[in-house]
Amino acid sequence: MLDVNTKYMGVASLLRFCILIMAWIVGFSSRLFAVIRFESIIHEFDPWFNYRATHYMVEHGFYKFLNWFDERAWYPLGRIVGGTVYPGLMITSGLIHYLLSLLNIPIHIRDICVFLAPIFSGLTALATYFLTKELWDEAAGLFAACFIAIVPGYISRSVAGSYDNEGIAIFALMLTYYLWIKSVKNGGILWAMMTALSYFYMVSAWGGYVFIINLIPLHVFTLLLMNRFSQRIYVAYTTFFIMGLLFSMQIPFVGFQPIRSSEHMASIGVFGLLNAVAFLKYLQGYFSNREMKALIILSIFVLVIVGVVGLVLLTMAGYVAPWSGRFYSLWDTGYAKIHIPIIASVSEHQPTTWFSFFFDLHVLVAVFPVGLWYCIKYTNDERVFIVLYAVTAVYFAGVMVRLMLTLTPCVCVLAAIAFSHSFKLYLVEEETVIQANIASTPEKSSGGGGGGGSRKPKILKKREGTDAVDVPQVTSALGNNKRMLVIMALLMILMLFAIHCTWVTSNAYSSPSIVLASYSGDGSRVILDDFREAYYWLAQNTPDDARVMSWWDYGYQIAGMANRTTLVDNNTWNNSHIALVGKAMSSNESAAYEIMKELDVDYVLVIFGGVIGYSGDDINKFLWMVRIAGGEHPQDIRESDYFNAKGEFRVDTEGSPTLLNCLMYKLSYFRFGEMQLDRRSPAGYDRTRNAEIGNKDIRLEHLDEAYTTEHWLVRIYRVKKEANRPRVPYAQRVSKQKNVYVSKKTSWKKTGFIKDKVGEKK
Amino acid sequence: MGPLLVLAILTLLGNLCDGQRKALKESPSLSDRVQQLTDMSLKRAVIRLNADRFRQYVKAVPRNYSMIIQFTALSPMRSCSICRQAHDEFTVVANSWRYTPSFTDRIFFAMVDFDEGEEVFKQMGFNSAPIFMHFPEKGKPKKGDNMDIQRMGFQAEVFAKWIQERTDVSIRVFRPPNYSGTIALLILLTLTATLLYVRRNNLEFLYNRTSWGLLAVCIVFVMMSGQMWNHIRGPPFMQRTQRGISYIHGSSSAQLVMESYIIMSLYGCVVVGMILMNEAPLLPGGESKKKTFLAIGGLGMFICFFSFLLSVFRSKAHGYPYSLLFS
Repeated sequence: MLDVNTKYMGVASLLRFCILIMAWIVGFSSRLFAVIRFESIIHEFDPWFNYRATHYMVEHGFYKFLNWFDERAWYPLGRIVGGTVYPGLMITSGLIHYLLSLLNIPIHIRDICVFLAPIFSGLTALATYFLTKELWDEAAGLFAACFIAIVPGYISRSVAGSYDNEGIAIFALMLTYYLWIKSVKNGGILWAMMTALSYFYMVSAWGGYVFIINLIPLHVFTLLLMNRFSQRIYVAYTTFFIMGLLFSMQIPFVGFQPIRSSEHMASIGVFGLLNAVAFLKYLQGYFSNREMKALIILSIFVLVIVGVVGLVLLTMAGYVAPWSGRFYSLWDTGYAKIHIPIIASVSEHQPTTWFSFFFDLHVLVAVFPVGLWYCIKYTNDERVFIVLYAVTAVYFAGVMVRLMLTLTPCVCVLAAIAFSHSFKLYLVEEETVIQANIASTPEKSSGGGGGGGSRKPKILKKREGTDAVDVPQVTSALGNNKRMLVIMALLMILMLFAIHCTWVTSNAYSSPSIVLASYSGDGSRVILDDFREAYYWLAQNTPDDARVMSWWDYGYQIAGMANRTTLVDNNTWNNSHIALVGKAMSSNESAAYEIMKELDVDYVLVIFGGVIGYSGDDINKFLWMVRIAGGEHPQDIRESDYFNAKGEFRVDTEGSPTLLNCLMYKLSYFRFGEMQLDRRSPAGYDRTRNAEIGNKDIRLEHLDEAYTTEHWLVRIYRVKKEANRPRVPYAQRVSKQKNVYVSKKTSWKKTGFIKDKVGEKK
Repeated sequence: MGPLLVLAILTLLGNLCDGQRKALKESPSLSDRVQQLTDMSLKRAVIRLNADRFRQYVKAVPRNYSMIIQFTALSPMRSCSICRQAHDEFTVVANSWRYTPSFTDRIFFAMVDFDEGEEVFKQMGFNSAPIFMHFPEKGKPKKGDNMDIQRMGFQAEVFAKWIQERTDVSIRVFRPPNYSGTIALLILLTLTATLLYVRRNNLEFLYNRTSWGLLAVCIVFVMMSGQMWNHIRGPPFMQRTQRGISYIHGSSSAQLVMESYIIMSLYGCVVVGMILMNEAPLLPGGESKKKTFLAIGGLGMFICFFSFLLSVFRSKAHGYPYSLLFS
C-alpha cells in the first residue's frame, strides 16, 4: 500500500490543491446571485452600518475611528461608535483596501465590502479542510471543504453584499479550532500562541467568541474527567488562556468583561482546576498511594468550596456581572418572551423548526449523527472536541435560529467524516485489499486506502500518547457490482445536495432586501427601488441636520444612505429610547406631536406595503412597537387597546378605535382611502392584509405629507413647526369677556339701559 | 287610576329606600371595610366571598379599593380542570402581591366559588367559569375589566400585566420555588453516586463508548427534530382539517408535535441505515449473504427514508422542485 501511495503522491497533492481551489471558486461564485441579478450593493440593515463605519475609517484613519462619537445616531444621545463595535470587520476590509492602493489598484471601498464575505468563505473552506484533516484524514477534509463552501446555512450570512461580522467570524472560528486541535496534538507553545492570536482576531470580529472561550475549557474539562490529562494539554491550555485573555481585553468593546462577566468564568475555573491537577500529578512522585488518595479527595473538596463561595461572593459584591439577557434566554427558553420584548421581537432569536434545519443543511443534517457516532466510537483527544462542539452547537441552534451558523461548520465536518468513511470502505479494490493485508500485517497501519496514506506513519507516532482507537480498515471487499451500486447512490445524493444548495441560495438567500423584485404575468421582472428612492429624496431635499424618526429597523439605512440623523437604530442599546419612539407611533396625533416636539423630530418615515403587498411593513410590525412602548409606559400604552372586542388585530372598520386613530395608522393610510388599486376591489383596499381600511377620512393636523415613493412603499412626513399664534378650533373657543352687552330690548321687559352704567338693583 | 299608580310607585320607592337603608346599616363604614379586607387578605391571599360578602364588599358604593375577583367552580364534582390551574396561577399572583413590600390596601384579591355564591353568578349573568373580573375603585366594570383568558391565557405573568393595565399597580410575580426539580436532581445525583460507589472497582462502564455515543446522538436527534420549538411554542399534537386528521403542518414556519416525532424517527432510520451499510465491508471473511444483505439493506434504508424525509420537506416547502424516489 505504501509504495502505491508514494507513486501517486505528486498526483494526489495536485488533486488536493485543485479540489480546494475549486471549492473556493464554487463557493465564491454561488454567492454572487445578488450581484448579478441586481448590482454590487450592500444588503439589509446591519451591513449598512458596517459599511458606513468602514467608510469613515478609510477616510479619517484608524485612530479617528476608535474615538468616533457619532452624533447622527440616537439623537439626542449620540453613540460612541469606537467603543461599542467589534472593529475586526472594518479593519480587515480597510487593510485590504490599503494593500490594494499600495499596489496602485484603485478600488472603491464599497466593492471590497461587498465581496469580502464570499472571499472569506474560501478561507473558511481551507480552515475547515485543515481542521478535518487533523480530526480524521485528508479525504474527509476535502469533503468538509466542499460542503462548507456551498452549504446554505453558511451562505445565508455570507452572500456578496451581506457585509456583516459573521462573514469573517466563521473563518476565525474554524481557524481557532484548527490551531487549538493542532496545539492539543503536539503540545507546542508556538501552536497555542497561534491559537490565542486567532482567538484575538475572532474577539475583534464577533460577539460569538464567547462560544470559543466556553467550548475550549469544556474540552479540557472533559479530557480531565476522562483521565486524559497530559503535559500537552497543560501547555496548550495555559498558554492559550493567558494570552487569549490579555488579547481579548485589548478590544475596547470587550474591555474588562473577560474577568468580570459570568460568560467567561468557566475558562477561569478550568484554568485553576488544570493547574491544581498538574500540581497533584507532580506531588504523586513524593507520596504513597494512600496519602495521595486522601490528598486528592481533600483538594477536590477545598477547590469546589472555594470556587463556589468565591464566585457567589464576587457576584454579590458586584465584581462579576450576572448573565446578560441574550445569553440568559439561551438557558431559560421562556425568559425573553416575558421579560425582554426587544429580544423576542427579532426573528433571528426565535427557536428553530426541523424545517429550517433541513432547509439549511439538507442531507448533511441526516448524515452528521453518523459522523458523530464514529467520532465517539473511535475517540481520541481531538475527536472529543468535535463531539462536544456538535452537542453544544446543536442545542444552541435549536434555541435560536441565528445560531444555526455556528452549527453549520461542525455539521459539515461530521458529515464529511461519515461520507468519506463510507467511500473509503466501498472504493477499495479487491486487489488493493489483499496487497494491503500482506503489506500491513507487521505494521498495523491505520486507515484504509485513499489519498492520504503517506502521512499516516508520522501522525501515528505523534498519537502514541493519546491511546487512539484506530479506525478499522477493510478486511475484504464486496463484489464490484454492489460496490458500484452503493457508490452511485451516494454520489446521486451528493449531487442532489449540490442542486438543493444552489436552489436555496438562489431563491432564499440572494435578495438584497433594499431592492425588491417582482415578476409580472408574462415573466418579466419589475424592480421596486422605493427604499433608495426615498433615502435619496431625504439626502437631496432635507437640511443636513434634519432628524428623521422611524422604527429602529431602518435607522442604519437612513444613516448610511440618506446621511441624516436618526433617533433609534439597529444597535438596540437603549430600550427606553426605542420605547419612546414606539409610544409616539402608537399614540394619537396630538400626543405624538408632544413627544416629537421633545425629540426635535423634523421628518417621520414609515414603511407601507399595502399597495404592492409587501408583508414586512410597519403595520405588521406595529404590535411589537406597542408591546415595547407598553413595557416602558404602561399607563399610556396598553396592548389590549389595539385589539377589538373579539381580540383581533384588524385594520378595517372592525378594528379597535385606538388603532384606527394612532399615528402609525394615520401615516400609513393617509390618502389611501381615495386610491382604487384595481376595479374588483374597493378604494382603500390593503393588499398586504387583504382588508378595506376602516378609517378612510384621515386628516393630519401636525404633520404634512412630504414624499411618497412610486409604489407607496416609503412615506415621509414633515413635522410642522409650532404656529406663531396657536390656532384654536372653533368649537373650543371661549370668549374671555365677562360683561357682554346684550340688547335687552327684545326681551319681555322691553326696558332699555345704558351701557356700563350700574343699573337699578332689584 | 292616576293616584293609585302614584301610590304604587311611592310604596315601591319607599321599599327600595328601606332596603338601601337596611343595607347601609348592615354594611360597615368604608374604613371598617378596608380594615376587614386587609385583615382577611393577610390571613389568606385570596379572600373567599359568598353572596352576602360579595354584596357587602364588592357592590358597596363608596370604595377606594379595586377588587380582582375570580369566579370559579373548584369543587371536584364540577370537574373543571382549567379552574384549578387558573386558580393556582391566580393564587401565585395574589401571594406575590401579599408579600411585596409595597403591599397596600388599594387592591384585594378575592374569589367566588359557584357552590358558595350561586346567586352572584346569576346576578352577573355568568354561565361559565373561570371568569376574572376587575372591579375598579369608581364606577362599574368596563369592557376591558373582564379578562379574556381565551386569548391571553392565565399565566401569573399575564395576570400581573393585566392588573397593571387596569389598576397601574405593578406586581412582580414571584413563584414559590419549585422544589420538585431540585429534589429530582438530588435523587438523580445520589443514585449516580451510589451506583459509582457500588461499582467502584469496575468503572469500565463509564468508558463504554456505545452508551455515550447513543446519548450524544439522541441529544442531536431531539434538537434537530425541533423539540425545543415545541417546548417554547407549545403546538397542538395533531390537527383537524377538512380532509381528516393531519399530522404534518402545511406551512414551513410551524410544526406539530406528531410531525416532529415522525421526523425524529426518520432521521434515526437514515442514520441506522448508513451505519449498517458501513459495517458490511468490515465483516471478516469473503463474500457472504450477510454482507450483501447488510450493504444493500443499509443502503436501501438510507435512500428510502431519506427520500421520505425529502418528500415531507417538499410538502411543506411550496414550490420546492426536487425529490427522490417518492414525490
